Amino acid sequence: MIFRIDTASDEPLFEQLVSRVRLGIARGELRAGERLPPARELGTALDMNVHTVLHAYQVLRDEGLIELRRGRGAVVTGPAKADLSAVERALETLVQAAREARLSPEATTTLLKEAMKR
Amino acid sequence: MTHTLADVWKPRARRVTAWSALAGLAILLAGLAIALSWRAELPDQVASHWGPGGAPDEFMPVEAFAGVMLGTGALCIAVLGAIGLLLGRSASTLRLAAGLTVWISGMLSAMTLISLSAQRGLADAAQTPFSGSDLVLAMLVPAVPGVVAALLVPRDRAVPAEAAVPADALRLGLSQDERAVWFARATGGSGLVVGGGAIALTTVIAVVTGTWALLAVPALLLPATVATFVFVVRVDTEGLTVRSALGWPGTHVPADEVVRADVVDVHPLRQFGGWGWRVGLAGQVGVVLRGGQGLRVEQTGGRSLVVTVDDARDAAALLNTMAERARTPGR
Repeated sequence: MIFRIDTASDEPLFEQLVSRVRLGIARGELRAGERLPPARELGTALDMNVHTVLHAYQVLRDEGLIELRRGRGAVVTGPAKADLSAVERALETLVQAAREARLSPEATTTLLKEAMKR
Repeated sequence: MTHTLADVWKPRARRVTAWSALAGLAILLAGLAIALSWRAELPDQVASHWGPGGAPDEFMPVEAFAGVMLGTGALCIAVLGAIGLLLGRSASTLRLAAGLTVWISGMLSAMTLISLSAQRGLADAAQTPFSGSDLVLAMLVPAVPGVVAALLVPRDRAVPAEAAVPADALRLGLSQDERAVWFARATGGSGLVVGGGAIALTTVIAVVTGTWALLAVPALLLPATVATFVFVVRVDTEGLTVRSALGWPGTHVPADEVVRADVVDVHPLRQFGGWGWRVGLAGQVGVVLRGGQGLRVEQTGGRSLVVTVDDARDAAALLNTMAERARTPGR
């Protein structure tokens, strides 16, 4: 699975990682029993502090999506893959509408976040 | 330069094949010379094969025995030499060929000498004792010079790609501020089953027959199976890294040497003649653990690497993107 972070984003790095893993599990890219890369290796590859990665792993553990085991690292325990096809279809429509309205990805994300908080 | 870029690997392949073949032959001939120097003390017919009960069941003159050893060794050296000369594009392939050449020659010499030295002074070769631990030693000790030979092979020279990543190669939409890494585990179902089966079988045989020296086989097979059939694969700014779950063996393709990366359909038997760490018919190195989807990386110097992973599309797209970044200084 691809782990990616955007250094220009306002979202804290650990939260970006948490979102990635959540999404990976929901999409079925990460299955139960699969191992996440060791925190140090992921930190080095993404040029970020190992504690930031560990912070993300702890959040995921508290959400019940992964288990942290000594010696075995982070193992996915999360729920089985959810059906995201409706969300993906709606997203396509949203992206198209946002492009037509010449909204930036940031502005669109803000709108989406506000809508979801309502 | 008389070599085209595609031929740059050939001089090194010739040199490595030459010295490893000479070393192997020297080891065989030394074993032969020592064996023949014992001729006067050996029975007319020496034991050359031992049955399952530990008693010798085949006999031949010492000259014939030594000749079989030399012939077998020469054949192995010729086959491994041909692999090095024809397919040795990557350092890893040459390491394998040179290491095996020296190891197998050493093993043949050592086995011949160990079985003959037990027969010195015997009137009748039928009394020759069989020592399992000696046999294990004869297999393991020559691995040391084998590893040394493998390490003597010069590493691949850095050959940065000059041309841009082709436009039709997969890409990942990654902005300037984004960082990304792709991780996967490559495992081989059939390889693990065969390895596990062999470990269980040899353990049972060793326990049932009480041949304790035979336990060395599963003890060696266990790490060998893990080392050959479980790999961690990573794509990041540095390029592609393929590493066994044990940490060794492994290989790395630097991002600036990636010509292009693609998704391919892998047929282990047809393309690589089997599973595991393989060398294909076109000299491509394969970490082939199962059939189906795989990532193929074409590297400068005519080298290429195939790894069987799920999700190879993302890996290829990210690797091409990283290769492109590596070609743009300041990024």
